Amino acid sequence: MELNTIKDAFDRVAKKQKLSCSKTQEVIDEVGREIEEAMAKLQSTDNGLGCDLKSILLELKTKLNEMAPMNQLEGSQRELNIGLVKYAKILEKCLNPDISKAYRNVDSDIHIVNQIIASHFYRQGLFDLGDCFVSEANEPDATALKSPFLEMYGILEAMRSRNLEPALNWASKQSERLLENGSSLELKLHQLQFVEMLQKGSQNEALKYARTYLAPFASVHKVEIQKLMACLLWAGRLNQSPYAEFMSPTHWERLAEELTQQFCSLLGQSYESPLSVAIAAGIQGLPTLLKLASVMAAKQQEWQAMKQLPVPVDLGREFQFHSIFVCPVLREQGSDENPPMLMPCGHVLSKQSIVKLSKSSTRPFKCPYCPLEATVGQCRQLHF
Amino acid sequence: MDMAVESPSSLANGDSSAVSTATTPAAAAAAASPPSSRMLQLAESLKLEHQFLRVPLEHFKKTIRAHHRCAEKEVSAVLSSVAEAADRSDAMSREAAVNHLSSLVSRLQGLKRKLEEGSRAENLQAQRCRARLDHLDSIDVENLTEWSNTRLKRILVDYMLRMSYYDAAKKLAETSNIQDLVDIEVFLEAKKVIDSLQNKEVGPGLAWCAENKSRLKKSKSKLEFQLRLQEFIELVRADNNLRAIQYARKYLAPWGATYMKELQRVMATLAFRSNTECPSYKVLFEPMQWDYLVEQFKQEFCRLFGMTLEPLLNIYLQAGLSALKTPFCFEEGCTKEDPLSQEGFRKLAAPLPFSKQHHSKLVCYITKELMDTENPPLVLPNGYVYSTKALEEMASKNDGRVTCPRTGETFNFSELVKAYIS
Repeated sequence: MELNTIKDAFDRVAKKQKLSCSKTQEVIDEVGREIEEAMAKLQSTDNGLGCDLKSILLELKTKLNEMAPMNQLEGSQRELNIGLVKYAKILEKCLNPDISKAYRNVDSDIHIVNQIIASHFYRQGLFDLGDCFVSEANEPDATALKSPFLEMYGILEAMRSRNLEPALNWASKQSERLLENGSSLELKLHQLQFVEMLQKGSQNEALKYARTYLAPFASVHKVEIQKLMACLLWAGRLNQSPYAEFMSPTHWERLAEELTQQFCSLLGQSYESPLSVAIAAGIQGLPTLLKLASVMAAKQQEWQAMKQLPVPVDLGREFQFHSIFVCPVLREQGSDENPPMLMPCGHVLSKQSIVKLSKSSTRPFKCPYCPLEATVGQCRQLHF
Repeated sequence: MDMAVESPSSLANGDSSAVSTATTPAAAAAAASPPSSRMLQLAESLKLEHQFLRVPLEHFKKTIRAHHRCAEKEVSAVLSSVAEAADRSDAMSREAAVNHLSSLVSRLQGLKRKLEEGSRAENLQAQRCRARLDHLDSIDVENLTEWSNTRLKRILVDYMLRMSYYDAAKKLAETSNIQDLVDIEVFLEAKKVIDSLQNKEVGPGLAWCAENKSRLKKSKSKLEFQLRLQEFIELVRADNNLRAIQYARKYLAPWGATYMKELQRVMATLAFRSNTECPSYKVLFEPMQWDYLVEQFKQEFCRLFGMTLEPLLNIYLQAGLSALKTPFCFEEGCTKEDPLSQEGFRKLAAPLPFSKQHHSKLVCYITKELMDTENPPLVLPNGYVYSTKALEEMASKNDGRVTCPRTGETFNFSELVKAYIS
């Protein structure tokens, strides 16, 4: 996009606006000066004869008429207007003047949108803003996410001030569910606490802590725990040990992130705000949709009622949540009836196209992508 | 399609992209996402920001126009006052003439002060226009996360302003320090009119119409007519029939040429009165007519400032949900990271079309990462497919054995085969 063209056009507008401003002031000053001059003349003439008065006023009138201040005002304004119109035109040309062209006019439920926004604010930790929004939008039910996220931000806040207590409490309460998720968050938290103790030099306390809290994890995380136990030898001077890495502050950051992830997961929530994700996808997808809408409009085709978009809208890999198999021969999305099949050569086609290629179940056929041959019986269904 | 199936060899030669992904994975991976395509995408997204630049421009123009009109009015008044004094100077004493002229001088000084103030306001607005240009210019691959966050906030403020959630809008703008990037002031102007309409007053609405008369006329707006109709209806409701007729002669008749049908219908309420049961007239007396006027006003207001009629949030949300919507989003095991796994988003997406794919995109069940030429899919003997990365990691921890997380079967890493997916 020609951002520089736009900027230049605006610079011209700004210049003309300044010019017009000073021109207006000038005109006003000039008119004022003329009037003041006439006043001085009136005051200086001693006799104050009527004809003198009249001639002075008439002279002033002619002078002002000659000066044509109205025309002057209009002239500078016209210049400015031309600049403004040009700038608006450039905006219209360089940018898309109507991004609602691809909008499908459906009644979107305001309550749903408001609830999504309220949840978004709460999960970002913007509790005041969330409350303000909920009361202004009058959506009292939208506070569902407030208290769990209050708890989470409380834990994270404590972690920032190097207090692991709330995090450990939460992790021990959720211990089983965390393990089900395949997360060793609890151990990692205990490990951090243990290292903190060692750093302060309290060997005995650390040993006691390890016996109570680290020991239960020994069977699964043997190597990790052995290293931690070796740390006991360097109590108080861990930074000079081969295990100095344990003290790195990045552990805190990474653990805070993992805790956020697990907390959201156990709440049945996503890690990223779904509103952010959907809007970001919209920003990537909208240019394609707008192009589509204008093409369809030019062809006078209706797409508002379509069940599937006629063209693919490419999104970045961060928006890829599902495995989608498209048969390279049929160019159709795979389904339960038409699943992907692996041929012995490693290429994958849909079941329908394999059946079509082979014509009979026993006759070998050539893979469309390489010279190898296969029979239907050799092909295996895949599950992504 | 059929032809391609009949002659697979021609396809093998013709579809070079398919062959190249299968045979030279490294080359394909290099071309997968070059930085230039990322920049292109950013440039495309900036093209969506018309409203962002247009609204402050319209505001700026409006201020300039108002100041110009004011200067014109005052200067022309001074000129005609001088002319008038010259004409009747015969009957004027010198003292009176001096007084008259000095009053004109102070009038001009007053105007000057006013314009000086005005020019400060204009400069602020010009600054705002420039701040937005600079903000668009500042987008970069490096600060993209932060920039996108700000964009989301802008979109949210826009939504809240349009929905009249002014306090929350202000709060978000202030706490994120993006006041220059949102249009709170512009919407506060609308708020006055909306509040009055909600209080069943048309005065401020009519004043707004008068202020923007020429532009509303250009866009063939009928808002003023609708406000007048409502005022007429209120007179009929109050049984003030004579005044209603007078009002109609003065304010409704001029619209007769364009909106005769509506004019006739409203005039008929004189016969039916406010307690009528006749549905086509009863509806005219209903309080929801005021809500309708609020909606009409909002639309005209947005149009005048070059805004989209829908909130930006709705537009982007709809585009995003269409692009994300696949049949898999509605299956039971849908990942929580997909917005469409949530009830609210599913409801919003219900009337939207499904997205379409021309190429396979495979996501590893274990790592949730994309399986491509860099991280190709491996097939277990049971037909289940996972990414190389995930399976290699699993094998390295378990002495070369992998366990299928969905069936629980275990295999040797050596039993796995690569799948080529184009």
